Amino acid sequence: MVYVLKRLGQGLLTVFLTVSVVFILIRLAPGDPAVAYAGPLATSAELAKVRTQFGLDQPVLVQYGTFLKELVTGNLGTSYSFQAPALQVVLERLPFTLTLAFASILLAALVSIPLGVWMARRTDTKKELGVNVVSIAGQSMPDFWIGILLLSLFAIVFPILPASGFATWAGLILPTVTIAILQVALISRLVRREMATNFASPYLTIARSRGVSERTLTWKYAMGNSAIPVFTALGTRFAAMLNGVVVVEVVFGWPGVGSLIVRALSTRDYPLIQATVLVTAVLAVAVQLLVDLAYPLLDPRVRLGKANAS
Amino acid sequence: MTVPFADRQLSRRDLLRWGAAAGAFVSVATLATACAGPTGLPGPGTLTLALNRSLVSLDNKLNQFDAAVTVQRAVRQALTEIGPNITPRLVLADRFELTAPTEWTVHLREGIRYSDGTPVTVEDVSTALRMYSQVQGGFVSSFFPEFPTVRKIDDRTFTLDTQKPLPVLDALMANILITPAAANKPAELQTGVGSGPYVVTKFNRGAGTYSLRRNENYWGTPAGVERVEVQFLSEESSRVIALRSGQVDVIDSITPDSATQLSGLPGITIDHASALRMNQIFFNFRQPAGHPLADPRVRQALTMAVDGDSLVHDVLVNSVVQADSVVPPSMKGYVKTGEYVYDPDQARSQLKALGAENLTMRIIWETGEFAGDASIMEALAEMFGKVGVKTTLLQFEPGGDIATWRQGKGGEWDLLGNGFGGPTGQAINMLQGMYAGTAEKESTRDTYQGYVQPAVAALIAQASSEPDPVARQAYLTQAQQAAWNTWPCAWQFVPKSILARRTRVEGLRLDDSNSYPLAAVHLES
Repeated sequence: MVYVLKRLGQGLLTVFLTVSVVFILIRLAPGDPAVAYAGPLATSAELAKVRTQFGLDQPVLVQYGTFLKELVTGNLGTSYSFQAPALQVVLERLPFTLTLAFASILLAALVSIPLGVWMARRTDTKKELGVNVVSIAGQSMPDFWIGILLLSLFAIVFPILPASGFATWAGLILPTVTIAILQVALISRLVRREMATNFASPYLTIARSRGVSERTLTWKYAMGNSAIPVFTALGTRFAAMLNGVVVVEVVFGWPGVGSLIVRALSTRDYPLIQATVLVTAVLAVAVQLLVDLAYPLLDPRVRLGKANAS
Repeated sequence: MTVPFADRQLSRRDLLRWGAAAGAFVSVATLATACAGPTGLPGPGTLTLALNRSLVSLDNKLNQFDAAVTVQRAVRQALTEIGPNITPRLVLADRFELTAPTEWTVHLREGIRYSDGTPVTVEDVSTALRMYSQVQGGFVSSFFPEFPTVRKIDDRTFTLDTQKPLPVLDALMANILITPAAANKPAELQTGVGSGPYVVTKFNRGAGTYSLRRNENYWGTPAGVERVEVQFLSEESSRVIALRSGQVDVIDSITPDSATQLSGLPGITIDHASALRMNQIFFNFRQPAGHPLADPRVRQALTMAVDGDSLVHDVLVNSVVQADSVVPPSMKGYVKTGEYVYDPDQARSQLKALGAENLTMRIIWETGEFAGDASIMEALAEMFGKVGVKTTLLQFEPGGDIATWRQGKGGEWDLLGNGFGGPTGQAINMLQGMYAGTAEKESTRDTYQGYVQPAVAALIAQASSEPDPVARQAYLTQAQQAAWNTWPCAWQFVPKSILARRTRVEGLRLDDSNSYPLAAVHLES
């Protein structure tokens, strides 16, 4: 419990520092929200009124103080472009991002773990080399290119899947596959490395000499010892996806948080940027915390908050 | 001995097993659902539009981009609308007449009501005008030199009174969308009813999606399509693919490249219209006296360095026309004032004669200001180079600091790539926006790139307050000619609005305002 509280405290500090740094940085960046809001033809007087309306005429420290005060009450301000509470706008989009991230990481895990094990069992063979080359190619291909390729193939040549949006569940397939291709390439090679190291370990040789089946050796012994780094990698990738998979969201017209933040940045919508950063930071920290808390379940030797037993 | 389930410890192995099983189940279920469900193709009674910008609301007090007009006016209506040939056409009013220099008399159409059955009233009009005038930084309010006041005569008749003559008020009122007074606010409305041929059944403002259903209480001819789905797809290639796949019926505001890609494909039709927009390579008029660019003869010489025909045909693949005035030809009040002549030899000799042969210039612009922006700027730099003018290019990202630069507070520049829209369709409004700068406005840097020509501004002022149409056109003609003669732009061009649709979409008429009446659209049976 002490460990959990400590990690929660660390998480809160991380979120606080993140939103604070973003608050300052976006105000240092070029661009004027008043111009973005009122348009290039607005007069100086109109721009001044807009700045006053948004509180942008106040010193940055005063704005920061107001922001923190409102943050405590859960008020992140009104989005300039949506004219609605910024947090509400982000939360309207969040389910789309969560759905896509969850589907992608699930597909990536279901493909990459067996693939990585298969590669590890065939280390330094021609088959493994071939799969390695394909996975490196998958890692190297830009996601927008994969997306356009899949769209052309499955929305135009063989029109069996929707090209964009999330009107039906079928709309989830192409963006999920696009994201998963890159994740599979990354995670399968990680699994392969971990499993290959375990396969070469003396404890497996001894277990094998005692007649333990290959299936048990692979999925219980070796995978058990590889679980933590693999699970950590999956958790990290999932947390990263919660910030929005910007390019994929744009290509597939996916109404998630990633495309929202692109819009917020181009319109210098400060409250929306801050709300997006806050929500995604909280989620990312929460996912990392859950990953940490799951370690003892994956490896009984791990004791949270204490030095690990060897 | 069998251990009761409740007494069993959850082992690590159990956890992994159950986790894997759950994961597999969710994946397979998702895939099965996806494959079993529809592929997202619109149904036979549903029209699907994909917009290039997110439709934040169906109100236009703050934002109004071209494609939004189509959807906004399908739900909310104004007293008038800009019809074909940029002529104001009556909508909620059946009479809208200039009855005195500063007075318009308006009569509301009989039987008009909102989708909830309540009638449209004079108070709704009065409140709407007040709300539009109160909103800070509003898009629509920038077109009104002053907001008229409403004087009620009877339940359906009222006058719109102004301090100064406002002869294009009938066109301006096309931008004032009428909402029940009690529901109107000095902000962009997110909800509420309208009097248009469609009603909103579902929307997700964050995602920019709207579901519309035919308004069964509509006071006019019922809409031709039962349901309309509005999507937001920012990426043009995605919109093109969505149209090709049949998932979307109409995409608008597309680039010439996409039009070329789509033209000739079976099942797809391309529509063009002249846009109410002028794209310019505008000179910086804040240069000090003695600077070469402060001399109109130097500016004229530089126009001769630009091979406009090549830009139109080779760079912009005929998606634009070269300007022959300071406003687009589709504008009400437009007159031809001249044309750009490509003569690099003359440009070089004229620059030399004026002592400007070693001129260096910086061109600035914001990415996406118009289609092919970077290609145009690179071509211009090469063309200026051929007459001995060195050019540097500075591109700003959207949301960046170009506004500060335009005001002369960010850095030195000589030419600006800029687009100027005129959604009212009135030449006078465009002239007021660009060429009516005064010394007073310039003191706060509120003129258009420092353009202050008192003679031009005086003509525009006369045109804007002249109630007699013939006399007003005479002033407009003089104002356009006078502005053209100052050589404000190295080059100008008028883009064409391009829309692509599935051939099953019929009755769609793309107007010069880059929008179309949604109620007139119907689907091939």
